[in-house]
Amino acid sequence: MKKSLLGLAAVVGVSLGLASAAQADMLSDIKAKGKITAATEMHYAPFDILKDGEYQGICHDLFVEVAKELGVEAEFLDLPWQSILPGLEAGKFDFVNAPVTITAERMKRYNFTLPIGNATVALAKKAGDDSISKPEDIAGKAVGSQKGSAQLEQLKAFSETLPTPADIREYVNIDEALADLAAGRIQAVANSMPLMGYAAVQRPGLFEMVMPPFGDPKYFGWVAPGGEGSETLIAAINDALLKMHEDGRIKAINEKWLGSNPELPTTMPDVK
Amino acid sequence: MNFSFDVIWHNLPYMLAAARWTLLISLGGMAISLVWGVFVCAARISSGAVLSRLAALYISFFRGVPLLVQLLLFYYMLPYVGLDLPAIAAAILAVGLCSAAYSAEILRGALQTIPRGQTEAADALGIPTFSLWRRILIPQAIRIGLPSLVNELILLVKVSSLASVVGIGELTRISQNITGETYRPLEIYVAAAVIYFLINLVISLLGRLAEKRLQVA
Amino acid sequence: MEFDLFLRYGPALLTGFGVTILCWLVGSFGGLVLGFVLACLYRYGPAPLRWVIYAYVEVIRGTPFMIQLFILYYGGPHFGLLLSPIQAGILSFIVYGSPYFSEIFRSGFNAVPHGQVEAARCVGLSEGRILRRIILPQMLVPITAPLTNFFIILTKETAILSVVTVPELLYETQTMAAETFTFVEPFLVLSLFYWLMVIGTSWVGAKAEARVTRHLRKA
Repeated sequence: MKKSLLGLAAVVGVSLGLASAAQADMLSDIKAKGKITAATEMHYAPFDILKDGEYQGICHDLFVEVAKELGVEAEFLDLPWQSILPGLEAGKFDFVNAPVTITAERMKRYNFTLPIGNATVALAKKAGDDSISKPEDIAGKAVGSQKGSAQLEQLKAFSETLPTPADIREYVNIDEALADLAAGRIQAVANSMPLMGYAAVQRPGLFEMVMPPFGDPKYFGWVAPGGEGSETLIAAINDALLKMHEDGRIKAINEKWLGSNPELPTTMPDVK
Repeated sequence: MNFSFDVIWHNLPYMLAAARWTLLISLGGMAISLVWGVFVCAARISSGAVLSRLAALYISFFRGVPLLVQLLLFYYMLPYVGLDLPAIAAAILAVGLCSAAYSAEILRGALQTIPRGQTEAADALGIPTFSLWRRILIPQAIRIGLPSLVNELILLVKVSSLASVVGIGELTRISQNITGETYRPLEIYVAAAVIYFLINLVISLLGRLAEKRLQVA
Repeated sequence: MEFDLFLRYGPALLTGFGVTILCWLVGSFGGLVLGFVLACLYRYGPAPLRWVIYAYVEVIRGTPFMIQLFILYYGGPHFGLLLSPIQAGILSFIVYGSPYFSEIFRSGFNAVPHGQVEAARCVGLSEGRILRRIILPQMLVPITAPLTNFFIILTKETAILSVVTVPELLYETQTMAAETFTFVEPFLVLSLFYWLMVIGTSWVGAKAEARVTRHLRKA
C-alpha cells in the first residue's frame, strides 16, 4: 500500500524523493508470484531489439538466464523511455532490463546490478570517409549524440581536449543522429561501442566504426527501484550473473551478438 | 541512396499486426469521442450554469493537458482509486475522452448555425428535449460539422501512437523498433505512412459518403 | 519536487517556449492562409485542379506529422534538399496544417444555403462580393470553434519538431529530464506551458466567436 501511495504521489507530482521509503521485500514477492516483469525499450541494438516480431538481444538472452536462476518466469514489456521510470516507481513492473549506463547521479535514485554490457563511447562515421581514422580527427567536425546520455557527456569532455572542439549536435533518439549521418549533415555519431558496432554490421556500405573507443570505461547495468525493498532482488540477480560469468554463459551470449567478449568486471565499477 | 523494398517487404507483416492495435484504439476512441462528445456539447450549451461550467472545465482540461500526460495519469493513477485498467482500456479511454472535448466544440460551433426558431417551434409543439436533440439538432449539427469531425477522427488515428507509453506496440512504436534494428528509418517510415494513409482514406471516404447522403437539396 | 531544477533549467525552458510559440504562430497562420486558398481553389477551380487538391488533402492529412518531417529532413538531403531544422520545421508545419484548415473552410462553405448564393447572383453581385459579404460572415459562425480546436491541436504538434533537433519546449524539457533523471517535473513544465497556450488560444477563440455570432444574438 505504501508503495502504491508513493507511486500516486510520484505521478501527481505531490512529492518526490520518498520513493526509497521502506517497502516489502521484492524478491519474496516475485518468488511468490512465480514471475518477474521486466520493462525495456526494444530499441537499443544489440542489447534490446525487436526482430521479426520477437524481442531478442543480449539483455533478453541474459535476463532469461537470470530468471531461470531465480526460478521464476520472465515477462517482458516494451515501453518508451519516458514511461519506464514512472512505471518502475508506480510498481507497474518489477525491474528494468534495459542497458542503463551506471553513473553516480543515477545510483542515488536507483539500485543497479553488476555490469551487463560495455558502455564506453565510440564513434561511427560514414563508410569510406577517409578524413576520420581515429577519434581525435573529429576536431572541428559536426558530431551527433543522444541527448542526456552518459556517452554525450563523454563526448563533450573528449571534445574539450581537442585543438578545435567538435560541433556537437544533440538528438532526441540515436536513430535520428544516424539518419543525419547518412544524410550528410554530420560527420560522426558517438554512442556506446556495441551500438555503433551493430550499426556498422547492419549497414556495412553506409556506416563504419572508428577505433578505438575513447573516454573513461563505462558500463551498462540493469535497474531496480531505489531503496531497501529491492536489495535482496539485486543481490540474487548479481549472484546469478556471477554464476553465468563462471560457467561461460555471459561469454557465449556476448559472442553470439557481438562476435567478441567484452570482459565485464565482476565487481561494481567505481563511479565518482 | 539505396532504398530497400526488401526491408519493407520483410517487416510488413509485423507492421500490419501492429496496425491492428492502432485500429482497435482508433475505433474505440472514435465511438467514445462521438457519443460522449454529444453529451459534453449538450452540457456545455445547457441553461444549467453548473452543468455548463463543468463541461467547460472538462473541455479546458482535456484540450489543455497533453495527451501523453493524460495517458500516464490514466495508467498510473487510476489503480489508486480502485480502477486498475488494462493498458488497452486505458489507452482507448484516454484517447476517446480527450477527443470528445474536441468533438463537443465542433458540434457546438455547428449548432450555432441552426436557427433558434427551430428549438422554439419544437418547444411550442411540446416535443421533448431528448427527441429535439435526437431528431432535430444532432442530425443538422453533424451535417454542418462533418468535415471538421472527419478531421478530428483522422487526428485521433494518428494520436493513437501515444498509446506506446502504456506499453502497447501500435504501428508507430513497432516501426521505430524495427528502425532501431535495421537502421533503415526512411523505408520503414514510408511504409508506416502508407498504412496510416490507407486507414485514414477509408475514414475520409466514409465521411464524404455521409456528407452526400446528408446533403440538403 | 526539486524546485531548484526550475531555476537551473528556467532560461533554457523559456527559450524553448519562445521557439515553440514562434514555430506555432508562423506555422499555423501559414497553414491557415494556405488552407483558405486551397478551399477557395477547390470551390471555384476547374475539375483537374480540384482533383489535385483533393489528393493533397488526403495524403497530407492521412499521414503522421512525425513521419512527414522525418522524411523531409533526413530524406531530403539524398535528393539535394538540405534544410536547416527551423526551416524544415516551419515549412512542414505549414504544409501539415493546411489540409485540415482547408477542410474546415470547406465545411463553412457548405453551411451557407445555396439559395442565398443563387439569389445574390440574380441581383448581380460579383463572386468576390458574394464571398466577402454573404458567405464569409455566415461561414465563420460554425467554423470558429473548429478553427480554435485546430490551433490548440497544433500547439502540441510543435513537440514533434524535437525530432529534427529544433530547440523547442519538448527538446529542452527532455534535456532536463535526461540530465537530472526526473520525470514528474518535466511533464509538469510541459503541461503548464501548453496549458498557457491553450488558455490563450481559447480566450482569443471565444472573443472571435462572440464577434462572428454578434448578429445572431441581436435578433
